[in-house]
Amino acid sequence: MATLLQQLINGLVLGGLIALIALGYTMVYGIIQLINFAHGEVFMVGGFASLATYSYFIPESWRSDWWVALPLMALGGALVAVILAVIMERFAYRPLRNAPRLAPLITALGVSVVLKEAVRLFYPGATAPVPFPRVFVDEQYTFEIFDGTITIGSTAILMIAVSVIGAVVLQTYITKSRMGRAMRATAQDPDTARLMGVNPNRTIVLTFVIGAALAGIAGVLYGIQITNVDTEVGFLYGIFAFTAAVLGGVGSIKGAVIGGFAIGLIKSLAGQYFPGGTQYDLVWIFVLLIVVLVFRPQGLFGEPERVRA
Amino acid sequence: MNIPIGWKYLAIFIPSVLGLIGLLVLIRFAWKKGTEYVTPRPTLSRPLSIGGAALGIVAALMPWATFVLNEGAYPDKSTLQFFDSPWAVSGFRLHTLLLSLVALAVVFAPIRKHRIHKALGWSLIGIALINAAFIAGNGGGFGAITSDGSSFAFGAVIGLVAGIALVFSGKAGPVEPIPHLSTDVSRVVAYAVLVVSFTALLLGVAMMLNAGGQGGVGNPYAGPIFLSLLAFFAGVLGALHAVGVTGWISRLSDKHKWFSIVVLLAVALGLPFTEAGTDYWMTTATNIGVYAATAIGLNIVVGLAGLLDLGYVAFLGIGAFVAANFSGAAAAKMGFELPFLVAVIIAAIVAGVFGAVVGSPTLRVRGDYLAIVTLAFGEIFKKSAQNDIGGLTGGANAIPGVPPINWFGLSFDKPLEIAGVKLPSGVMYYVLIIVLVALVMVVFANLKNSRIGRSWIAIREDEDAARAMGIKTGKAKILAFLIGATLAGVAGAVFAHKTSTVAYDSFQFIESVTLLAAVILGGMGSIPGAVLGAALLLVLPEKLREFADYRLILFGFALILIMRFRPQGLVPDKHRRAELANEGAEGVPIEELNLPDDTPGGAKAQVAR
Repeated sequence: MATLLQQLINGLVLGGLIALIALGYTMVYGIIQLINFAHGEVFMVGGFASLATYSYFIPESWRSDWWVALPLMALGGALVAVILAVIMERFAYRPLRNAPRLAPLITALGVSVVLKEAVRLFYPGATAPVPFPRVFVDEQYTFEIFDGTITIGSTAILMIAVSVIGAVVLQTYITKSRMGRAMRATAQDPDTARLMGVNPNRTIVLTFVIGAALAGIAGVLYGIQITNVDTEVGFLYGIFAFTAAVLGGVGSIKGAVIGGFAIGLIKSLAGQYFPGGTQYDLVWIFVLLIVVLVFRPQGLFGEPERVRA
Repeated sequence: MNIPIGWKYLAIFIPSVLGLIGLLVLIRFAWKKGTEYVTPRPTLSRPLSIGGAALGIVAALMPWATFVLNEGAYPDKSTLQFFDSPWAVSGFRLHTLLLSLVALAVVFAPIRKHRIHKALGWSLIGIALINAAFIAGNGGGFGAITSDGSSFAFGAVIGLVAGIALVFSGKAGPVEPIPHLSTDVSRVVAYAVLVVSFTALLLGVAMMLNAGGQGGVGNPYAGPIFLSLLAFFAGVLGALHAVGVTGWISRLSDKHKWFSIVVLLAVALGLPFTEAGTDYWMTTATNIGVYAATAIGLNIVVGLAGLLDLGYVAFLGIGAFVAANFSGAAAAKMGFELPFLVAVIIAAIVAGVFGAVVGSPTLRVRGDYLAIVTLAFGEIFKKSAQNDIGGLTGGANAIPGVPPINWFGLSFDKPLEIAGVKLPSGVMYYVLIIVLVALVMVVFANLKNSRIGRSWIAIREDEDAARAMGIKTGKAKILAFLIGATLAGVAGAVFAHKTSTVAYDSFQFIESVTLLAAVILGGMGSIPGAVLGAALLLVLPEKLREFADYRLILFGFALILIMRFRPQGLVPDKHRRAELANEGAEGVPIEELNLPDDTPGGAKAQVAR
């Protein structure tokens, strides 16, 4: 029983991370029907950028106070992620907006390879996982329960809190604010939105920016939780997040968050209880991805896809 | 308080990036203004071209560096001599001399010369830039290509000026049409031309492969020598294109299709007899063959049927693992050895079955979602192979010791001697893979022109319309996956025997991206394109070892840039060309059609439709 509870908690923590990344996928897909394959790498770059902020930009006397160091790192990670996202939207995706549909996907693939390789080649020591500083308060809360104990770390609580708060704020922003309305309008019909006075280019850039900022913050959270960053995680978590977005229904904020938690839970439970254990936990997620795409491509909360002319 | 080091770097980095952008903008502006200024004066064309050609000859005869770069025995002095013997013209200086002489000759020849001069000029610029950058980079900066103390060496600079002059002389005139040479020549002449041109192609390829040796630590000059030769060949090809010869040859080979195929095959089999006939290049060429065969298979799925597959290398892996398991290797699951041909057939069948399984979601999933499904299948394969599923893949230990193919007592990894000519080891694998690639090409070409091929293309263009026309789209799509996977499986079987160790990490996502890059670089749906793409993606890293670390990042940039600027690829498929590049009916870019009006609905818009 305690093992199950522990795995549920682990799954929720992982799910919070995945949900943060999935938000970026779902928003970009919702607005321009592009699978931004490079989004996972943006998350990875965010992790490295926050690490660089800590190692090279924050004075040593500030590093011990987490309420100074952590926000600065998050700012650094998000800033670099946002700059990257703006550059890639402008120079890689925008020129292809009216191209055949596979073209932007292949471009996104290229962007993803470039980002990963750029970090691997140019970040000092990034050919192997780079240790991440333990900036956040590192408390472990242990509870006696039924037949054993369960542990929750302070970083785990932070992770879940940030992802839930992030999603709520985002949902409110999109449903209530003026720019949010512009986003929804552009997603529905870019041409009509333009006629109504919405600047589609600016709206699309804003979508990329929000997604990238969330991914950058997710990068910091990943770092303090796992205590290292690695160039490999971008691809892996990108796939997780994409699966989560599809599972929840692409385009839906709520769906992305629920999908993220679902993926997290499935991974940790499959690693514990399914045949093959942790060696095959990824396989189960990929199987789930295939099954969802084949039988319910609109996901749990999405609308059936319209055939675009 | 100490300021952390990052801020100092940032303080240098941001201004330098801004400065670089400013410089690029400035260069672009200057180039634009410069061309605008020169272009409207056709009278300048002749003096510019004579002057450029003369300067090119001077550049070839001048020293290019203020120091002797290579005093050692290897690499040979003759290829990269810079200063020591100003009049011994060879290597890139010989190329410069040849290009300039041709440019000079063309000035006085009664032919359309602007295109030729442009091609030769760009080639000269390329050669000069590559060598100048290399000399300056290795010999202490700008002084190395200008003057340093008592010695002077303006060869590179003059070569650059000569190239620019030639390019401007070409730009000064009107855009000339490329001559259209008639293919109504006698059969003997046509055959002779084809044999000569394909043999020249073979010798050129061999020369390029061997330029400056094999690269790497052994020869740090291999990169520049190779690139410089590439620039020279590009210039020669450009000039030939300008006089209409390349188009003529390609039309001739279209006309005498079967003869060209036979000659091409013979020429390909002739590679071991040329200077590139070394163990090293045989191995590389075999790898290229494996990738090319797989890329053609992928081309069926992506290029013809328009289904993006991001996990395609799994089929290569399945073929390799099946063959390894039936090869009698110690780690194989099967305790017995099957003849190679039988193993190939089994590998093909197993890969084909998996192909059909992976393809089955196409019945319900479309477009980019399908790409993700194939990606997921690829990852499942990799993860299963990594975990040694069923003891079939050896997991992290791989399956080592797969024996070489052995036919009639002829072991494929041994050197060979035919009629007194010593052939490198691995030559049999090379022959095998050439035959395989040829077969795969024939299969592809026939499929493409068959009923099923046309239905694939129809599905690619518009699935709903294809279905409405009575095409069984589901069946056709699964068939595309099945056939593509079968081809990859066959290639995988050869791969297993050639490399002798089959490990899961040869079949990762990045290999799928490489295959996709080969197909896209060459041109989707184009047969020679897939082969050319695979060859480029495997040869370039070998020749440019200095940049070996940057291989993948360059792939990434290549994907982005191709999709942006040349989505039809290097050797576009004829159908595809018209759709992707916004070109007129005859495959001529609209800008070059010289149509009168730019208005919406005007002549250009008419052609675009």
